[in-house]
Amino acid sequence: MIRRLQYLYHMSLKFELPVHEHHFKLRCFPSTDARQKIFNEHIEIYPVHFRSTEKDSFGNTCVYGTANQTHDHFSVDVEGEADIDINKKLTDEEYKTGIFKYETPLTKAGTTIRKFHLELESASLFANNFERAFYMMNMLYDDFSYVQGVTGISTTAEEAFDLRRGVCQDYAHILLAMCRLERIPCRYIAGMIPGEGATHAWTEIYNEGEWRMLDPTHNRECDDTYIKISSGRDAKDCSINQGVFYGGGRQTQEIKVKVSEL
Amino acid sequence: MLADGLYKHADSVNELLARYGVKFGIYKNGEFKEQLFPFDIIPRVISAEDFNFLERGLKQRVKALNEFIRDIYSKRQIIKDKVIAEEFIYSGSGYLVQCDGVTPPKNIYAHISGIDLVQGKNKNWYILEDNLRIPSGASYPMIARDLCRKGVPEMFEENRIEDNRNYAELLRKTMEYVNTGGLSVILTPGRFNAAYFEHSYLAEQTGAHLVTCDDLTVENENLYFIDYSGKKEKVGAVYRRISDEYLDPVNFYRESLIGIPHIFDIYRKGNVALINAPGNGVADDKGIYYFVPAMIKYYLGEEPILQNAPTYLPYYEDDMKYVLENFDKLVLKDVAEAGGYGVVFANKLSKQEKENFITLLKSEPRRFIAQEVIDFLDLDIYEDGQPVPRKADLRAFVLMADEPVVWKSGLTRFSRNPDSFIVNSSQGGGFKDTWVLKSK
Repeated sequence: MIRRLQYLYHMSLKFELPVHEHHFKLRCFPSTDARQKIFNEHIEIYPVHFRSTEKDSFGNTCVYGTANQTHDHFSVDVEGEADIDINKKLTDEEYKTGIFKYETPLTKAGTTIRKFHLELESASLFANNFERAFYMMNMLYDDFSYVQGVTGISTTAEEAFDLRRGVCQDYAHILLAMCRLERIPCRYIAGMIPGEGATHAWTEIYNEGEWRMLDPTHNRECDDTYIKISSGRDAKDCSINQGVFYGGGRQTQEIKVKVSEL
Repeated sequence: MLADGLYKHADSVNELLARYGVKFGIYKNGEFKEQLFPFDIIPRVISAEDFNFLERGLKQRVKALNEFIRDIYSKRQIIKDKVIAEEFIYSGSGYLVQCDGVTPPKNIYAHISGIDLVQGKNKNWYILEDNLRIPSGASYPMIARDLCRKGVPEMFEENRIEDNRNYAELLRKTMEYVNTGGLSVILTPGRFNAAYFEHSYLAEQTGAHLVTCDDLTVENENLYFIDYSGKKEKVGAVYRRISDEYLDPVNFYRESLIGIPHIFDIYRKGNVALINAPGNGVADDKGIYYFVPAMIKYYLGEEPILQNAPTYLPYYEDDMKYVLENFDKLVLKDVAEAGGYGVVFANKLSKQEKENFITLLKSEPRRFIAQEVIDFLDLDIYEDGQPVPRKADLRAFVLMADEPVVWKSGLTRFSRNPDSFIVNSSQGGGFKDTWVLKSK
């Protein structure tokens, strides 16, 4: 069974004052992998003087380039279709997963997460990484509330868990922090799910040779409606836009995502 | 004889060095201060036989380190074969994930290596540290030699000393070998950098352009140098004296006010050589140092020619046991620190400090290495009209083009404080020229 989804991704930046010599590196383009096949993709970037495409170290598609002319508005529109086959596995050899086993500044467990983790049932009660992570996800879900506006893009797992409130990025970081305390290879996924709104974030847990997706915000294993945009150790590796420019003052970013079934 | 001829020039050479601006900038209490890098007139002399041995050992070591960096950022065979603990790679600050899967021109990562050694009282040489990021210091013995030759030319006629003024030529070849087409430039962060004298001196000696980030721009997947008149010229090799994190704000540290946007993207595509390669820090971490002898066997199938100082990794249970049992005679080093910081001689600690340190060591074993204190061979320095013994080390420079070449000289650094083992220039040490004698 293959599910076909259509997606639209829009990101715009508004600058209070005009900018020039704008160099950008964008990471907001779903790529084809074993599980999802991307086709009919169309990318629009405005304004742009030069652009080029590459894959980063995690295999994420990046478009980098420059917008030389003075502008006060910058936008990216991506649309395409994805065929998702839930029976296709993402596999990896164990020795290649080391990079995903250790904490990063955003997924470092501090005293609050460590304390919570210590009070969990013993890891030996679980058959494998996936079941263990699933259990930790359940426990996190029960003790954390989805609230927008209390955390930001640079909030760490520990800070969010201290607040016991946050959004999908925070749920994902906290689950990763707990898995990494046990050296379970796990990674951060940025992506899209059906409906209209913002991008979503979830996790992948390495289990017996394959990567399995868990969505801690919804407390469930991901199905074939999840479109992956990028993966990495944490949200920073998946940052949608890393740019520098002259001028600008305050800037406002707007992101709109729409995913529907065909 | 040898010494007398030089002694009388000690002051004049130091005066000349000051006039040439041979300075070392340091930040202290948030303030930038330039201080003279004191030169001692008595050279370290290494016999041809000794140097030959060092040369073989250093080439071997740099070859293995280069292989290691290549492996870590591509196949990771050494991790698969469990020769090295992966935690030291992925938890260390030197590993740069952006470099994974990137192949630099001609597969060279460690173009210029600065390997620090000491000679023990038993005459054995020990490797103290590998510097594979931006090792500095070659310019100091170069200019000191030049000035001494002017002061006492007969000294260099009578003694069979290898000329060290070929460093610039070696460096030029190293840059040209990996150049992807275009100019070779030396990129400096600017005159407030600790090693600015060196950047400008090496540029002058090699004939490369000395540039700052503002002089370089990436356009259409190539790097260009823009001269004062606005003319653009393609650049094929950048000997950058600016650290990885500040190299490219769209790929690394984004708050960086310096750097060249997209330089890493085009490096990834093979359109420019960066010297040394970004990500080399993965191989010169103090924790990784422990594994270098194993790397030499693993990649080259050879026994290491040069020894490490005896080192223990408290991360391993057996090593931790040894460290705790022999604590008082060891030196402990924080793997994240450099420049002589984070070094603790256990016998200098008070009872309370010792207890605190052991608690820290037990809670963060991966953070430290422990080493036997090597009884360095003292070298004489000329102070207040007479020679006095001081601790000294040697930074040997290995330059890699098609094959590694060891420069027949090196930077000998000494501690001005008679009780100190710390020779780093950032801690106020001085330097000597290093004479390698020609074989008879």
